[in-house]
Amino acid sequence: MSESRGTRAWRWLREHAVNIVAALVVVYLLLPIAVILLFSFNNPQGRYNYTWVGFTLDHWAHAFSRPELNEALVTSLKLALLATAVSTIVGTMMALALVRHKFRGRRLANFLIVIPMATPEVVMGAALLSFFLIIGTFSLGFETLLIAHVMFCISFVVVVVRSRLIGFDRSLEEAARDLGADPFETFRLVTLPLIMPGIFGAAMLAFALSIDDFVISNFNSGTTVTFPLYIYGASQRGIPVEVNVIAMILFSVTVAAMGFATWQQRRAEKMASVRPEQEEAPMMPMPGTAAAQ
Amino acid sequence: MRRRIVPYFLLGPGTIWLVVFFVIPLYYMAKLSLESGVVGSLEFNWHWANYSEALSAYDTQFVRSFYYAGAATLLALLISYPLAYAIAFKAGRWRNLMLFAVVAPFFTTYLIRTIAWETILSDESPVTEFLHTIGLAPSGHILATGPAVIAGLTYNFLPFMILPIYASLERIDVRLIEAAKDLYSSAGQAFWRVTLPLSAPGIVAGTLLTFIPAAGDYVNAQFLGGAGNRMIGNVIQSLYLSQADYPSAAALSFVLMALIMIAVVVYIRFAGSEALMGEEAR
Amino acid sequence: MVSSENKQRRSAAVVAVLVAMATLALGLAACGGSSGIEGGGGEEREAPQVKLEGKPSGSLTISNWPLYIDKGTVPAFEKATGVKVNYIEDINSNEEFFNKMQPLLAKGESGGRSIFVLADYMVVKMHKLGYLQEFDKSGLQEVENNLVESLRSPQFDPNRDWTVPWQSGMTGIIVNKEKAPDVHSICDLFNPKYKGKVDFLNEVREAVPLVMKCEGVDPNQATEADWMKAIEKIKGAAESGQIRRFTGNDYARDLTSGDAVAVMGWSGDAVQLQADNPNLEWRMPTEGCMLWSEDMVIPVGAPNPTAAQAWMNFVYKPEIQANIAEYVNYVTPVEGVKEILAKREPALAENQLIFPSASFTKKCSGTPVLEGEEEQKVIKAFDAVLNG
Repeated sequence: MSESRGTRAWRWLREHAVNIVAALVVVYLLLPIAVILLFSFNNPQGRYNYTWVGFTLDHWAHAFSRPELNEALVTSLKLALLATAVSTIVGTMMALALVRHKFRGRRLANFLIVIPMATPEVVMGAALLSFFLIIGTFSLGFETLLIAHVMFCISFVVVVVRSRLIGFDRSLEEAARDLGADPFETFRLVTLPLIMPGIFGAAMLAFALSIDDFVISNFNSGTTVTFPLYIYGASQRGIPVEVNVIAMILFSVTVAAMGFATWQQRRAEKMASVRPEQEEAPMMPMPGTAAAQ
Repeated sequence: MRRRIVPYFLLGPGTIWLVVFFVIPLYYMAKLSLESGVVGSLEFNWHWANYSEALSAYDTQFVRSFYYAGAATLLALLISYPLAYAIAFKAGRWRNLMLFAVVAPFFTTYLIRTIAWETILSDESPVTEFLHTIGLAPSGHILATGPAVIAGLTYNFLPFMILPIYASLERIDVRLIEAAKDLYSSAGQAFWRVTLPLSAPGIVAGTLLTFIPAAGDYVNAQFLGGAGNRMIGNVIQSLYLSQADYPSAAALSFVLMALIMIAVVVYIRFAGSEALMGEEAR
Repeated sequence: MVSSENKQRRSAAVVAVLVAMATLALGLAACGGSSGIEGGGGEEREAPQVKLEGKPSGSLTISNWPLYIDKGTVPAFEKATGVKVNYIEDINSNEEFFNKMQPLLAKGESGGRSIFVLADYMVVKMHKLGYLQEFDKSGLQEVENNLVESLRSPQFDPNRDWTVPWQSGMTGIIVNKEKAPDVHSICDLFNPKYKGKVDFLNEVREAVPLVMKCEGVDPNQATEADWMKAIEKIKGAAESGQIRRFTGNDYARDLTSGDAVAVMGWSGDAVQLQADNPNLEWRMPTEGCMLWSEDMVIPVGAPNPTAAQAWMNFVYKPEIQANIAEYVNYVTPVEGVKEILAKREPALAENQLIFPSASFTKKCSGTPVLEGEEEQKVIKAFDAVLNG
């Protein structure tokens, strides 16, 4: 049965419609990144980096030539590292409790964790500010930023680690126990290494959330300047090209780190035989399971 | 005995942190919302007028915020679903790479992304001119209008929509769809009758995770919007940081939270709540 | 399944945890309060005096607006005095900076800063709250000698006891000569021909008085009704889409990218903007402009006030001030700068934006006074327009 060209074309379109739309969406997603990258090579004459003037590698060569920008970046990095460390440890502990143990108040704890994720940032930032202003013990600045960042990261860490724990094959732990290890040793030598990719993923998410946070930081920073806050201030007066450069650097580093993390995750998964049906979606891309292919 | 307190010990630090730095600040904000006076001499006097004034003075902004957030959520859903579908069912080996490509753009700073949109949507940019020629931008400018804010919101919250939908699509047993096809349904029917309902939890989660933060956002309105496009988040921010009118700002924040809660409860009742709180260990 | 004994133990544990949390919470609630934003009321304090301690040394932290100084002055000062300067450009808005500093200033601290540069009206507010120190005039000889006549005795600080002007400026209109050649007045900004391509300032003490001038009202004689009428006019323009947006410095962004063709803008920005687009120029509106000054002040709790005063003195030397004026292009408060620049760059010396003649600014008004209840009402009304 020969089909007309038109019908064939229509059929091809229908079959690939979803893929075409998907491709268009990916282009849409990458558009701003392309713009940011493009303008990092711009050579504006005045203060404003909004119209294309000419190509130059100067700003890449001297990306760290602005002391205030560097200071803001360093502050952001310090803050993110500390907040990640604290929230990952605390959040992992919480996830372990929620998944592995039955106890009174588990529903309440679950609720407590979900609520911050569901609160608009402007409300969280404002509430924290009200708190700090009224009790007056903490002076607005690095300490209050750290407190705020840890607070909003905890929920995300719990969700990611929890989803990893749910699909975890307990038989390995049982085997260790059978071979004479006590609970502590089992945890240290079997469980922890196997959930490490999940913990690492959660840590990465916390880091990304902290370094990118603007709204909550804006309310609680006092006079301390983080990288996003620097950009906000500079947006009034003209954002230097170096900001684009640094944003691209941060982007590349994060992408590389994520790639590394995903690769590690895959390796760990092969060792831990995670059951695909029980996985919940974390905020991170999860490798597709071998079985479903 | 040790076994019994282990969960509390594990849960302790996190819970304390969240209670002290999330729950209690909300209490303090509630306290502030009932005070009146000038900074430096605020008094607690059950000043409920803050709430009524907040609602009456800023009702336009509330409506506008919910409209923008709703539109953005809907657009995000329409854009994300095909993409999530493609990644879940058609990507095969490229699945991880695609997910990566989808999430990666959001590793640039939020502000810079939004400002990049300022450049893309500016009056004289090729994109705006193209949209103008095909009739989507009658007045010739997109920036500093409502649609620009909606576009920004849609973009910035896309991953929160894509990932949950992808997750629930990925879990669907392909055999169910095959079974439907075996029973003589067309591809379209199989989608509507089988795939879509099975992906409902993902859709519900995604819409909530998008709508809630979008309703309170102010960055998009500030950079991409013009006069008359301000959202309630902008008002709260200006009351806190520019005017230092803390009682009104606090009252406004609570009204926003309450309205969002109401919208969410209604939505969940309507859509059915599933997989919102997460699974627990068996 | 669980024995009642175990249940009891578990409940006890839960109760213990809850009690611990509650105690912690109450403990936190109890402390603080007096140093926060609540309290009985602000008492008028005696303004503390700066005590000079010999030659300046140590380090100095200054908070200023961005792009308000040339690149050479700080190193020159460091070299001349040996004082290490930490110059931070963290002031983007008078209100926001005040709100950030207020909790500290109320406690008598300045966050490590020794000098702020803020608009006249804001320093008046701070002075009233007792947040500023009074100078030891013996350490400000250069200021005494070189301050221009017109700024020697402002109404709010007749002897210049706690303020020293940093720069002055004019708020008028900046237009794209090519796209909006016929905009010469504030009233022209309301011309529907430029609908959606006009930016207004978001500063209530600048945008509203300018519109009052368009209506023929003198801002310094305006009644509350005049303020409200002007705000209504602005509101109408915002709602009709005439005004694209309300901006701070970011009007420059719209001008450079072509999104706006005529804006309310500051005189010092003109030269910078021309580097991006030679078609942009600052114009004195036919109704006149707004004149303002920003002042250096020393806050309470400032570390090293000796070095702070030395800085103020230093920047009032005409040679140093000439460098600053050349870069920022605002109106300099120091005598003798014109002559120095005339030798270096005659074009700058003749520039009306930096050395405005009396006739150039004859229709201009100073920042009007807004206080108390009138201030509250006006700000609330204007903010309602800003927030759409």
